[in-house]
Amino acid sequence: MTAQITVTEGGISHNTLMIYGLVGSIVGIYLTYLNTVTGTQLFSFFGGLGAIAALIWGSSTIKRLCSYGIGTGVPSAGMLAFGSGVVAMLLATKFGIASPIVALVLGLVLGAILGFIANNILAMKIPVMIQSIAELAAVGALVMIGFSAMATGSFTFSPLSVIPVTVLGATANSFGTSLIGGGLLAAIFMLGAMALQHGFNACLGPSEKQDRTLMLTAEVGFLSMLMVAIFSFAFIGIGALIVSVLVSVIGWYYTYAQYIALSRRDAAAWLDSKPIVEAEGH
Amino acid sequence: MVENIVFGIGITALAGALAAVAGAAEDTESDIGSQGDPNSQVQLAPQMGFIHRIFNKAVAGEPPAYGLWCALGAGLAWVFLVKDVNPVLALILGATIATFVQGAYATSGYLGRTASLAKFGQPVYIDILKSMLSVTMAHAFVAIFTTVAMCYLMNATLGHPFPLPLLGLVWGIALGAAGSATGNPFYGKERQYQNQKFGAGVPISASGNIVRYAEAGQRNSLDNGWFSAKLGGPASGVCFGLIVFLELWRTILFEHIAAGWGAIIVGLAIILVFVVIDRWVEVYARKNYGPYTAPEEASS
Amino acid sequence: MSALGGSGPAPGGAMDPVSSVIGLVLAVVFIGVVFILAPAALMPLLGIILGGVLIGFGVHFVPVGGAPAAMGQAPGIATGVAMLAAGAGLAGLFGGAWAAELGVVVATVTGAIGGGLMMAITCLMVNVIYVFGMGIPAASGKVTKDPLTGDTQAEYKSQGTEGHGLPFISFVGGVVGGLFGGAGGTLIYLMLLQVYEQYLPAIFNAKVEEIMPMAVSLAGVFAIGLFLVNAVLAAYNITGTIEGPHDPKFKRFPRAIVASLVASALCGLVAILIVVVNLNI
Repeated sequence: MTAQITVTEGGISHNTLMIYGLVGSIVGIYLTYLNTVTGTQLFSFFGGLGAIAALIWGSSTIKRLCSYGIGTGVPSAGMLAFGSGVVAMLLATKFGIASPIVALVLGLVLGAILGFIANNILAMKIPVMIQSIAELAAVGALVMIGFSAMATGSFTFSPLSVIPVTVLGATANSFGTSLIGGGLLAAIFMLGAMALQHGFNACLGPSEKQDRTLMLTAEVGFLSMLMVAIFSFAFIGIGALIVSVLVSVIGWYYTYAQYIALSRRDAAAWLDSKPIVEAEGH
Repeated sequence: MVENIVFGIGITALAGALAAVAGAAEDTESDIGSQGDPNSQVQLAPQMGFIHRIFNKAVAGEPPAYGLWCALGAGLAWVFLVKDVNPVLALILGATIATFVQGAYATSGYLGRTASLAKFGQPVYIDILKSMLSVTMAHAFVAIFTTVAMCYLMNATLGHPFPLPLLGLVWGIALGAAGSATGNPFYGKERQYQNQKFGAGVPISASGNIVRYAEAGQRNSLDNGWFSAKLGGPASGVCFGLIVFLELWRTILFEHIAAGWGAIIVGLAIILVFVVIDRWVEVYARKNYGPYTAPEEASS
Repeated sequence: MSALGGSGPAPGGAMDPVSSVIGLVLAVVFIGVVFILAPAALMPLLGIILGGVLIGFGVHFVPVGGAPAAMGQAPGIATGVAMLAAGAGLAGLFGGAWAAELGVVVATVTGAIGGGLMMAITCLMVNVIYVFGMGIPAASGKVTKDPLTGDTQAEYKSQGTEGHGLPFISFVGGVVGGLFGGAGGTLIYLMLLQVYEQYLPAIFNAKVEEIMPMAVSLAGVFAIGLFLVNAVLAAYNITGTIEGPHDPKFKRFPRAIVASLVASALCGLVAILIVVVNLNI
């Protein structure tokens, strides 16, 4: 017998969160394009903010999907999202300035087909399955492209794969020290996958509240953003790095403090060094 | 491929030792934090009316969680290595920052799940959070550092083609899977349900009735960690250490025999040896422990 | 089981013929697209599909008991099925990637052995813990006699439980699952590596040795992503726990093969399109 996954009503509707998440994420990732326009790398952190918007959208989707009782746990939905998301994201980066939009569309298509496979071929027969998996794959793709843009300053294929290295005055192309070539994509993959499922998974229970769940998703989102900011140490200049780290730390501290306050609000009791408070009749 | 076999064997032995420590630390950490499948009992207990003072770390399962910490630690180390930081310092920095992330996940997991059990009256014990957190983070650091160091050795000295973050992901998930498989039953059955009869599984009727008052007063996760570090932790260490050691050993010694088929045949032979040992263990249990009931009376 | 009233997964292994046919048609379309756009990548795509099917099929062999297994209430390993299979498959991929230069056959078999070895050691340690640490013999709850050894199971099952530990059939199932998973993951990696080694030098105007880190990393990340997709789909098919090949749930595997086939064809198509689509914008 395991803990039940129960649905709590109320709060912002899923469709509202989806619209906000979708728009916020696309806008955020596109704002990193200001890097190319202005010739600096200061605007890289917008990619991280866009990724967090997508994470919040995805957290609501996971909650919706898992409340139908899919048999496996919550984390596997996150793995499916990012497994398909990374595939969509890498193809999308080849489309130049249209990359974020292509990542969104490709993720939706990929996820819809995977959702069809899961729902019809595997006969899971869950009403929201196809739509949820489509949304999750899109979220996965957007989070990956957002964090990649934050780490390197750009979301197209070339800057992610090749770093020009100057040795003794001659410039050569180094593939092994780039985001994709160095395998850093794997770390971003896991950061996003765990952040996506942690919000709902950690707040699972009968007294789950939507604002607390979403605040937690934002907190792990900013935590992942902080990690990606440290990743960008290898790719962008020190000024942009400091901006990214500052934005991440401030965001993380705020959401973490809010989350602890919300947990305090919702908890049955907030005890320090007190013995077990026995329930009635035991 | 490795040119110098003696050097390769030395690194293999070191990697195996690091892996053994990683496995032991991983299992002890997940038992102190109470993660994965046994944690469902910690979650269930308040719903059955059994309030407790156990740390309820709801961070996915061990494989994806350790996949994250190790990939993150390896990724951070890779970034520092690319910027020409000393390798040892890079590994330590990477593991430290990854441990910080683990601590944040653990805290938010405990607060979230416990606050969502408010309906059943389970309080949030802040002193449990404060006491357990540093211990679980310490064990996580050991596990992450040894795994990332092992991956670095595989990439830098043994010449594996995968870059460091990718190796961190691969071995992080494998570490979580091995440690979780070996250590979870010991923690779940032996320690959480210590009040049940030894030598039998927990009957379904007893679900949720975990031990809450025990030998050192009201049981907390440090008591659980103390217990599982005696067998569950070392067993997980042996498991993961054997996996890494034998995988590297058969490759380095036998890869160049018969263009790779040597390592395959040796690997197959090792698998068969383990099958035989397992069969012996199973028969030993049947013969020495005997059945619970007489065969004719048992219903299937 | 469901809180909002969904009907849940269908009982038994009934295959829905209409969706299966649609899925297979989709797979043929994907293969056709690759055939037109990048004929040299056709055989690798078929290899990727085979790898995905091996993974999806192999996951059904791995004995997973979930939360009850952690209390000695159910047989199997007390971990999630997708991630346990991923652990074994990735350990196999590690070995297979190392042997990549020795040829596809040798590397795939090496990857299989790596995955099988990890599962063998893990399953052995699970039984060691149960027998020597907890004093509990292995027993299955789904069959009266072990199909491989003929041991009777019922009287070794403790009261109030569904069985515990890893009976021999479950152990062998675990090893076989590791073999298939390791082989599948390695095969996907090798096929993608082949495609990237062929197409990337032209895209970057560089030599094969220079772009090797890109090819390895791309192929590795894709292999892991594809592995997780196939493993999670198979886990959905199993609905969480399975005792091994003797479990009645095992008979559901045909659906998983079709599902993995279509999913791998789709993801393989996208992975190959990366080196085919060169818009230079």
